[in-house]
Amino acid sequence: MADQSIAGAAGVMATASEGDRSGRARIVILFLCVGLVLVVLLSLTSGASDASAVSVISDWLLGAAPGNEALNARDRLIVYDIRLPRVILGVLIGAALAVSGAVMQGLFRNPLADPGLIGVSAGSSLGAVAVIVLGATVLAPFTSALGTLALPLAAFCGGLATTLLLYQVATRHGRTSVATMLLAGIALAALAMALTGILIFMADDRQLRDLTFWQLGSLAGATWQKIGSVGPVIVLALAAMPFLARGLNALALGEATAGHLGIPVQRLKYTAIVGVSAAVGASVAVSGGIGFIGIVVPHLLRLAIGPDNRYLLPASALLGACLLLLADAVARTIVAPAELPIGIVTAIAGAPFFLWILLRKRGVVDL
Amino acid sequence: MIEARDVSVAIGGKRIVANVDFDMRPGEVAAIVGPNGSGKTTFLKALSGDLAYSGQISINGRDLSVMKPVEAATLRAVLPQATTLSFPFTVREIVRLGLVGGRSGALHGEDERLPERALTRVDLDGFAGRFYQELSGGEQQRVQLARVLCQVWAPVLDGKPRYLFLDEPVSSLDIKHQLIIMGIARDFARRGGGVVAILHDLNLTAMYADRIFVMHRGRLAANGSPQDVLSNDLIEKVFDCRLKVGALPPGDMPFVLPQSVC
Repeated sequence: MADQSIAGAAGVMATASEGDRSGRARIVILFLCVGLVLVVLLSLTSGASDASAVSVISDWLLGAAPGNEALNARDRLIVYDIRLPRVILGVLIGAALAVSGAVMQGLFRNPLADPGLIGVSAGSSLGAVAVIVLGATVLAPFTSALGTLALPLAAFCGGLATTLLLYQVATRHGRTSVATMLLAGIALAALAMALTGILIFMADDRQLRDLTFWQLGSLAGATWQKIGSVGPVIVLALAAMPFLARGLNALALGEATAGHLGIPVQRLKYTAIVGVSAAVGASVAVSGGIGFIGIVVPHLLRLAIGPDNRYLLPASALLGACLLLLADAVARTIVAPAELPIGIVTAIAGAPFFLWILLRKRGVVDL
Repeated sequence: MIEARDVSVAIGGKRIVANVDFDMRPGEVAAIVGPNGSGKTTFLKALSGDLAYSGQISINGRDLSVMKPVEAATLRAVLPQATTLSFPFTVREIVRLGLVGGRSGALHGEDERLPERALTRVDLDGFAGRFYQELSGGEQQRVQLARVLCQVWAPVLDGKPRYLFLDEPVSSLDIKHQLIIMGIARDFARRGGGVVAILHDLNLTAMYADRIFVMHRGRLAANGSPQDVLSNDLIEKVFDCRLKVGALPPGDMPFVLPQSVC
């Protein structure tokens, strides 16, 4: 009798957790945290200088204590002024791109939605290229007034303008049509790219070289100053995203049903769009076009922990940061002492993966 | 109490619902019937706050047009005709979304167990771990009903009745599950809530509804008890086909037998 009731209780507990993947999600997030720490250490210690992980850590722990000579002055310069800003920037941008992708996918109820797809990135690029090409002439008052903030601000404005325009086109009677938004996004992206093309056509040789490298995407040239100008924007945008998670989950059932469940759908959409524009605009401004992180990361995580945005968004931030740092490590070392633009690395790894998603889903689930 | 006065809805300049009056009291199952395209779903959407309308709608005396989504969500839950998903949610994760507003009305600390209990009620025991997208249409419909039940688990909250709005809740179900689902609606009303359901099966309507609203070309053609409304003349005219209406003991419950197209 007692045995039966224990077995019964165990049975109830088993059914109570059936279909609940939150436990697994927490474990995955924990692993990703550890993974990110390891990848950060790896990034800090790999490269032309031979400062080891142990010496960097002991330098941190002991600081400027007398007799602490774990790092010599040259290594310290390399680690703190070259590698650390680059690692921090990589973490910020990887997280921003992956979370933006996850949020867009939730918003459009489409696993293939991506800031790159609906023109946000193209709009940001247009803003940034305008500053690079016209900064010394037409836009001189703007660039001289804002200094180093001009580029990220222009990219943010470009992204936001595209998204708001898109939103206007696709919204009628207070409701946003996802299909119209995706199609309009493709049209706006094409327009922004054409305008960018005109600017590139006007650029001189030196600007052209800058532009090409920047368009392919790179974390090279990361400085504390750049982190100071875009870091707060990205951190703010990322901090706002978790508040959208429950609403995005409800949105998976459709806009009407999300509203029936008590979610203020229009406000949710508006917040998500502004947040994504800010995060993507800031990322594009400092690192150019880095593709596929926004699609690949959330997709991998949905396979592992399911689509619940309460876990998907933080996990995406962590995995996005890890993957971008790893891609950057590859970009830095594969053709050393030169380096590849990181956008090439993410595209070479991401594009086949994207095709694999399509092949795997074909005939199984409607995209 | 739900009161709708002179409600009209136009979509794209075309009037879909015209001058409909609708009243229902808690404790009632109200059925909306009518041919395809007669405006049933559009009217229910107006009642759910999804569409702009002219006229007056109030739920428990509160004007629907000034209600925020979160307030409306405590008063009523809505079952749409069909729900497709683009992400691989499990059945439990879907049903749990019914609790997102946090006002199920279940006892304190009971919310975590509601998904399983709701699934048991719609006869989907053991389905919690399955993927929603892999279920049949009828099973998906019952999962959605379980979600809706979680949202308004207690038919009365803070002394105020709550409502279920069901758009064709049994359209893709076998007979046994039609009876189970309509039984759930009946029970919800018996315990003090109210149910508005769009139905196509006139016999099921006669069995379970206290009141029938017949819609025809966007207007209300009739409303009243099944005995009053299900008369040969009216039903034949509205549905444009020959029907035989009879009565079954006990209580002379009407039944409708289709004969032929006019």
